[in-house]
Amino acid sequence: MNTHLDVGEVVEARKSREQALAGTAAAGRPTWVPIALLAVLVMLPAIQVFDGFNYVLHLGLYALMYIAMSSSWNILGGYTGYISLGHNVFFCIGGYFSGMILAYTGISTLLTAPFAGLAASLVGFGIGFITLRMRGPTFIISSIALLMVARILFDNWSFVGGANGVTLPQLTIDVQWAKLPYYYAMLFIAAAAVYCSFRIKHSKFGLHLRAISQDEVKAESAGINTRFYKMLAFAISAFFVGMAGAVWGEYLTYIRPNIFLIILIAANMVLMCILGGKGTVAGPIVGTIVLIAFNEFFVATMGSSEINIFGTGLVMILALLYFPNGIVGTLAQKKKLPRFLDWD
Amino acid sequence: MADFIQIIILGLALGGVYALMASGLTLVFGVMRIVNLAHPIMIIAGAYVSYWLFRLYGLDPIVSMPIAAIVMFCVGIIVYKLVFEREAASAKYSEMTVLLTFAVAMCFDGLLGTAFSNTQRITSPSYATEAIFFGDLFIPKGQLFAGIASLTVIAALVAFLQFTRFGYAIRATTQNRDAAQLMGVNVGLVSIITFGIGIGLAGAAGALVSFVFSFFPAKHWEWIAILMSLVVLGGMGKLAGAILGALILATLAAFVSTYIGTTWSTMTFFLALFVILLVRPQGLFGDPLEES
Repeated sequence: MNTHLDVGEVVEARKSREQALAGTAAAGRPTWVPIALLAVLVMLPAIQVFDGFNYVLHLGLYALMYIAMSSSWNILGGYTGYISLGHNVFFCIGGYFSGMILAYTGISTLLTAPFAGLAASLVGFGIGFITLRMRGPTFIISSIALLMVARILFDNWSFVGGANGVTLPQLTIDVQWAKLPYYYAMLFIAAAAVYCSFRIKHSKFGLHLRAISQDEVKAESAGINTRFYKMLAFAISAFFVGMAGAVWGEYLTYIRPNIFLIILIAANMVLMCILGGKGTVAGPIVGTIVLIAFNEFFVATMGSSEINIFGTGLVMILALLYFPNGIVGTLAQKKKLPRFLDWD
Repeated sequence: MADFIQIIILGLALGGVYALMASGLTLVFGVMRIVNLAHPIMIIAGAYVSYWLFRLYGLDPIVSMPIAAIVMFCVGIIVYKLVFEREAASAKYSEMTVLLTFAVAMCFDGLLGTAFSNTQRITSPSYATEAIFFGDLFIPKGQLFAGIASLTVIAALVAFLQFTRFGYAIRATTQNRDAAQLMGVNVGLVSIITFGIGIGLAGAAGALVSFVFSFFPAKHWEWIAILMSLVVLGGMGKLAGAILGALILATLAAFVSTYIGTTWSTMTFFLALFVILLVRPQGLFGDPLEES
């Protein structure tokens, strides 16, 4: 009797089965939706031919920035389960890195943005080395403390202009087309962030991250180098936030601590991700669109920015109490997720 | 040498106020395992109660302290009923609960900002600008009175926890929630009352804050990290630890403020928080096994 099982055969069989599964998932995936969305967004600036749509472009740019940031936050907060409320520190680092280069050498941030992203992720790697030793609520507290530390440092760092910040040179283009370069830059960053988040979710790396979020001790005993993967996730999620910050700084034509380092930006990132569904690819996009639409409505009807903070907080409470899995997550749980949103 | 003692006196007086600010936070964490990020904004809300009582009726902030405490106690009960009751029922608290308190903090921040605008305010009872001199040394009357008032409230709290039946129930729930429930403690009631007391203590602290520091709604983000550093240093949920942590760090901050610069004195708390979390995450009095 030969009951000997060939290990190679088992591995082969498992591999082919996994490939078949991945194949059906890929066949069912509505790839055309993101592509169509991207196409529409690429064409959107064409309406500027008629002029007078600068606000639409601004809103588009703003939404794309937040899509990039919340998708990026999702890699750490959604996949890995480490909630950071100080992620705008990297937004600030990116903004200042490129902004200072622009102020001193005149090289546009559109060119230096990737390096700003790298700088942000390097800092993120270093900060993660310290703060990722903590877990749960302690990590959240340390991330808020990080934000406060950064605020004090940037407010008192005279080389970067302290609390007054630095004014940046403007591009000499006609007002009608002035927003275009930044719009396309943000579109590129957002698309890259979403694609990266998708690829990570479907990689072994993403599997490691999700294992960490479910049970870190077990993940570690299963042989995953949790420390390294957490830090890597932190660095990657800092990368796109830093890039977005670089472009945002030049777009506003000045950099100042109180445009980057305010808690509302961090809160928005977190809320958009949770509202849409953390840990899903489409979630941050849906959340961003819903929250920005809500904010615009709030500002249009109520004015004032203070009440806006209240509104954001209220939406966050309701979302956490009634939709802890977010829009995409809750629909998927009930098996009612429309096909065009099923990007995972 | 005189300088040295002077700084310690100022640090300890401020530390007394910080201790009251942190006591409610640590009490709530002890019983409910909720890290309440909304605690500092409740302190500011309490400060507004005292501020308006002072402005409209000339009521001294120390006198209006019980009123601020009672008002905030009611606010605490309402917030608990609306937001935390569902969460408290589930046995396991997650990061989501922390985010929930963060959202509550944002709500109150927005409300207070809309109602009173983000301008710096301070109540100015006559003693706030006076000082008592002993030879070379002096102590500002405002900080002295605030420190004494705060230690009185803390003493009352400790007496309540040690010598009343309900305080006994609170301590039992802090030690072991399930066991307390099995012994017939109404854990739900203990949670809601403790949360109310915690927020009430925030209100009382707010009355003192209103003349010791200047305040505005958005300032609470800074205080979140400051208060957390005090609580974490003493060990989360340990009242004595929070008080000691407050006295130690406030004195340290007073030294930094004198020798390095006022801007960096708040930095002391943030850096201390990182160092404590790295070196001894369970705090001075914490039990290392409790962390997991």
